[in-house]
Amino acid sequence: MESQEYYREVEIVEVKPIDEKGFVFIEGFPDIGLVGTIAASYLVDKLKLEEVGYIDADTLPPIIAVRGEKIQELIRIYSGRRLVVVTSDIPLPASMIKPLGYRLMEWAKSKDPELFLCLSGLPEPNRLNIDKPGIFVLGSSPELTEKLVQADGVSKFRDGFIAGIKGVLLKEGMRMNVNTAIILAQSHYNYPDPGAAAEVLRYLSKLLEIEIDVAPLLESAEELKLKLRDLMRRTDQMMQGIQKSKELELPPVYL
Amino acid sequence: MERRKPLWRVILDELRRMEAEMNRVEEEFFRMVKEAEGMRKQITPLYNLYESGDEVILTADLPGTSKEEIDLRVGEDYFRVEAPCKSPVRKVEEGKYVLHVRLPFKIDPQSVRARYKEGVLEVVAKKKITGFRVKVE
Repeated sequence: MESQEYYREVEIVEVKPIDEKGFVFIEGFPDIGLVGTIAASYLVDKLKLEEVGYIDADTLPPIIAVRGEKIQELIRIYSGRRLVVVTSDIPLPASMIKPLGYRLMEWAKSKDPELFLCLSGLPEPNRLNIDKPGIFVLGSSPELTEKLVQADGVSKFRDGFIAGIKGVLLKEGMRMNVNTAIILAQSHYNYPDPGAAAEVLRYLSKLLEIEIDVAPLLESAEELKLKLRDLMRRTDQMMQGIQKSKELELPPVYL
Repeated sequence: MERRKPLWRVILDELRRMEAEMNRVEEEFFRMVKEAEGMRKQITPLYNLYESGDEVILTADLPGTSKEEIDLRVGEDYFRVEAPCKSPVRKVEEGKYVLHVRLPFKIDPQSVRARYKEGVLEVVAKKKITGFRVKVE
């Protein structure tokens, strides 16, 4: 099929092959409040996950990241503690979203994952008045959603739109029969929100039965917001190109 | 003989060309923001301006400052915010936040209230309502 060629433009490279099955996959691509990015990067750091691969595509800008004299790929895959975590240093170009969603889910399916989790923020205009952001979950099947809302203080995501890579992954997960879910914390729309990321991590800690201390994250929240200003500015531009503000609306009802 | 491109490929190439053009414009914007920040050590904060009924709401992300250090000035048609920006960890001054927002309508400067919470400044002002009441028949 010709359109398959479109999806093949995204390449997933395992530098250290992930041979075991049944891992939990987590993605934290930049979007609302950088909630997923902050949470996924914190997991990588605190659980000392190992870099095992990367994702490349023609549509990615010709940029490399350098950290402590070490050259890094823009979209990296980490693994350890029965987790596979994908993070990105840049917002995804709009034309990469669909092929990446398809390829990433296809690749994850080949690893027979226990769960594929997308971490994100739920835009909340009243965020300033909320001290403890609420958590909302939506699974690729009603059974999975039921299972995921069993933790205290977690609500189902009932109506709304999910734009961008998170929506594509959820849809592909449903089509490919991979247990996929999105975890959303009430968040600022276009300001980095470490407080919302901490709530996502608290939920993950219970769900995955992994101890994650979010105190250091909250203590360094201001510093993190300073460091992430440029990424947030660029992510905001990207979100305008993929109708992310649609997440502030409800789908139409015809009766 | 060269094989004709399939239609989806032609459309995709055109979309990518448009995306590249948009990226170029955005890139120019980001370059100017960063160069201006570098030259003057002035930081343009992330901000939003909303209109809600008879109120105007400005929020600005100002991490690394304190409410005592924020200099907020309000005129009939503008908000101006200045505040030092310090790295809480490295304890060094990163620069100064400067934000000047011109409003598309007049406000009552006496009505303005502001608060600073978790690194975000919120300023709320009432719009100045002028005009006559007209009876609807």
